[in-house]
Amino acid sequence: MSLSLTYEGVGKTFDPSGKNPVRALDNVSFRIEPGELFCLLGPSGCGKTTLLRCTAGLESITGGKIFYGDRDVTSIPPFRRNIGMVFQSFALYPHMSVYENVAYGLRVRKVPEAQVRVKVTEMMELVGLPDVLKRNPSPTALSGGQQQRVAVARALVYDPEILLLDEPLANLDAKLRRHMRAEIRRIQKITNITTIFVTHDQEEAMAIGDRLAVLRHGVVEQIGTSDQLYHNPESAFVANFIGKMNFFHGRVSATTNDSVTVETAVKGVAVTASGEKVRIHGDRALGREVLIGARPEQLSISRTKDPHGLPGTVSIIQHLGQFVRYEVQTEGGIAERALEVDVDHLIPDLNEGDPVFVRIDEKNAGVYDSEGER
Amino acid sequence: MSKAVIDTKESWIERILKKDWTPYVVFAIPLIFLSIFLFWPLVTTLLRAFLGPGFAMNFENLGTENFSRFFTSRLYQRSLRNSLIIGFAVVVTTAFIGIPMGYCVARVKMPFKNLLLSLGILPIIMPSFIGAFSWIILLGRQGVVRLFLNTFLTPLGIEIPSIYGLFGIIFTMSLALYPFVFLLSYGAFSSANPLLEEAAMMMGSSRWRIMRTITLPLVIPSLGASAILVFIRSIGNFGIPAILGGEQYVLPTLIYFRVNGFWDLNGAAAIATVSIFITGGMLLLQKFVISRREYETISASRSEHKLHTHWAARLFATLYCGIVLLLSMAPNIAIIIMSFFERWRGPYPEGFTWNNYLRIPQVISSEIFNSLYLAVSASIITAVLGCLIAYIVERRRPKGAIILDLAVMAPFILPGIVVSVALLSAFSSGSILALGGTYTIIIISFTIRRTPYVFRSVVASLSQLDETLEESSMISGANWVYTFRRVSLPLIMPGILAGTILTFATLLQELSTTVLLYSARTRTVPIQIFAAVQDGFFGEGAAMSVMLLVTVFIVVYIMNRMLGRSVSSSFKLG
Repeated sequence: MSLSLTYEGVGKTFDPSGKNPVRALDNVSFRIEPGELFCLLGPSGCGKTTLLRCTAGLESITGGKIFYGDRDVTSIPPFRRNIGMVFQSFALYPHMSVYENVAYGLRVRKVPEAQVRVKVTEMMELVGLPDVLKRNPSPTALSGGQQQRVAVARALVYDPEILLLDEPLANLDAKLRRHMRAEIRRIQKITNITTIFVTHDQEEAMAIGDRLAVLRHGVVEQIGTSDQLYHNPESAFVANFIGKMNFFHGRVSATTNDSVTVETAVKGVAVTASGEKVRIHGDRALGREVLIGARPEQLSISRTKDPHGLPGTVSIIQHLGQFVRYEVQTEGGIAERALEVDVDHLIPDLNEGDPVFVRIDEKNAGVYDSEGER
Repeated sequence: MSKAVIDTKESWIERILKKDWTPYVVFAIPLIFLSIFLFWPLVTTLLRAFLGPGFAMNFENLGTENFSRFFTSRLYQRSLRNSLIIGFAVVVTTAFIGIPMGYCVARVKMPFKNLLLSLGILPIIMPSFIGAFSWIILLGRQGVVRLFLNTFLTPLGIEIPSIYGLFGIIFTMSLALYPFVFLLSYGAFSSANPLLEEAAMMMGSSRWRIMRTITLPLVIPSLGASAILVFIRSIGNFGIPAILGGEQYVLPTLIYFRVNGFWDLNGAAAIATVSIFITGGMLLLQKFVISRREYETISASRSEHKLHTHWAARLFATLYCGIVLLLSMAPNIAIIIMSFFERWRGPYPEGFTWNNYLRIPQVISSEIFNSLYLAVSASIITAVLGCLIAYIVERRRPKGAIILDLAVMAPFILPGIVVSVALLSAFSSGSILALGGTYTIIIISFTIRRTPYVFRSVVASLSQLDETLEESSMISGANWVYTFRRVSLPLIMPGILAGTILTFATLLQELSTTVLLYSARTRTVPIQIFAAVQDGFFGEGAAMSVMLLVTVFIVVYIMNRMLGRSVSSSFKLG
């Protein structure tokens, strides 16, 4: 039976009384449902690994509470929590055989030898390495992918209530990584253990997680499914971290109860956003500086002069298979950096250096606060 | 949702019980041990230093009489002066011997490099007072080498002085301590990035200029460290000046004289205090002057040094290293020869005999037992203690761990005889815990002195051990003790073994701490050798020395074969 996992105002400050206290987590509160595969995502230093280590009890939190189900585990040491964890380095014991590595948690629990054998064999089958036990080598003799599987088996063998994965794929090469993330999702769904998966790779997080939390500076920016985060990012940071987002400078030119109209630096080109697409916090005063955000596929490009298009110059054309990406340099004041425009087909006779007009798909573009980094 | 709803409102007692207290309990063990047997004795030593001879511990009795002897007594002044002269002179001579040797072995194409490196370590491992003893055989008043040289030199109006006195002390200490400089400078010269020198050459520097502006500045930090180490060891050494000093006293022999001659512990405490301040000052100097000049070498690639191949360089290097090695090996050879004869005065040893060896079982069987018993028990305690402290300092770092850091560094600035004075100050008869004359007090002194060896060795192993291995064990449900036993301990075992075996080997030959602490019941082999040499029983002393040398050599050799580790790594300073 799986457990939920609840954070209540969790805070962590390193070296609180020292010279340079570092606030790694600030008032983190959310709930992970039983059996969920939950991803913690964010750039390095955002606090995702700290949150995981606090969840494990390897770091003590300096504020708030953590619950496994209804049980407050805040001050319980890791070895009394019944959890499994896979480390980035795998942390397999070099002085023990593969069998002994996997059996470790069972030996700690003083499980009878016959049962240990059954459980270990079962786990090695689950992770797809039944044959390794025949030779039973030292884990150092295994390939990276095999070590990874042994680490997963070792973490699952004693039926932990929670499984924690700390960038488990970071040490594998790109192809193996894609394969292993599908494997991890498969194993997680079979065992149905509530799982946290930490990664800095948004593609990996979107591919594997039932839900994701994006962290920044120790604060949860947004929680949701991959789809919600991609199509409805709540902030410019999330918008840019999950997939690519083009940002245009703009000013609020009209507001209604539900919608906001933002005018770009080019006279006559404006975007009206409504409902969830409006992510401005605070007031909507006329003339306030905001950002218009549009995904590369939400922009279109034309060679002929377009009164609703923003002028620019094609700087790079990349053919990427299913689509073609045009990088467009705009004039000062329109956008922060070169725009990326994805279109289905190569536009004939459009070369690098040609002038073009970029139009924003008004239905899908969002409006964001301009403060804060992206 | 879990059915087993646990009450989340828990009392503070429950919270305290749930916390993992093991690390704190474990932290307390070395702390208590060190407080009682290191800090408390040092405090009493400091207090006693301000008490007149024979005065009881009392605030009204406090005074600076003991220290004023450094201004009034010629003996005190000369001892202090001798100690300083010896300290600085040995630093200079070992630098002159060791640095060129280190450079040659690192940078010149020459034969027997591995032999030089492995034999080079011997003088450190071998007891230095035995070296002093055998130099008497070679260079004493009737020494064979001295007589031989003087037959050539006397017509020229020169005469080699006898080994007794300052010259002999400096000479013997230099040969005993040069390996520190040799091995450290070898390490520095061979690990310095050769690209830096090549870059300088590309820019048109001459060889000498490169040496002066690139090579030497880069190795200065390790040379500085070795110089401090040599200084501290030379002014703390008891055996060599005790055997060769004659009328010339140094601080350790002055302490011995004070305690053994007058049973004036308070006076000895004052000398010990002065000695601690000198070494402590040198250590601070090293921390603030030399280690500041440490450079990060910026390099990813590791290319080999181009070795000097000119025939003259090779010839010089081979000869130079050969002569130094021969000089440092000569005492061992002399002592082996001596052990088969009754006397050796003049050119040839006389009276071949097996008796020196045959008498060993009768003469010193209880001493052999004592030596083994003391060394084994102290090694075991040292291993446990060093291991615990290393684990706490390296892994847990609770508040107050700095005390352990300090305690582990302290024995580096405390010469053996100072440790004895401190222990006597605190635990001599009449104190709360009277340990004078017992095995216990010697075991404690050994433990205090040698814990740093195991500590350093274990810290080195621990810092190579990935911390996530331990964390993953805790996650698997293993508590602190189980994790240590099943994961950390097996992986750092080589480090513990190396440190412990080395400790055992050095404890077998320990003289400077035991010389004040032994009683009729607890005499050890080194004490017996020391007494034999002082009483002129050279043959017997030599046989016992050979026995000791061979034992130590075998122990260290086995360790090297078993663990494949360099012994020198455990000797480095801070």
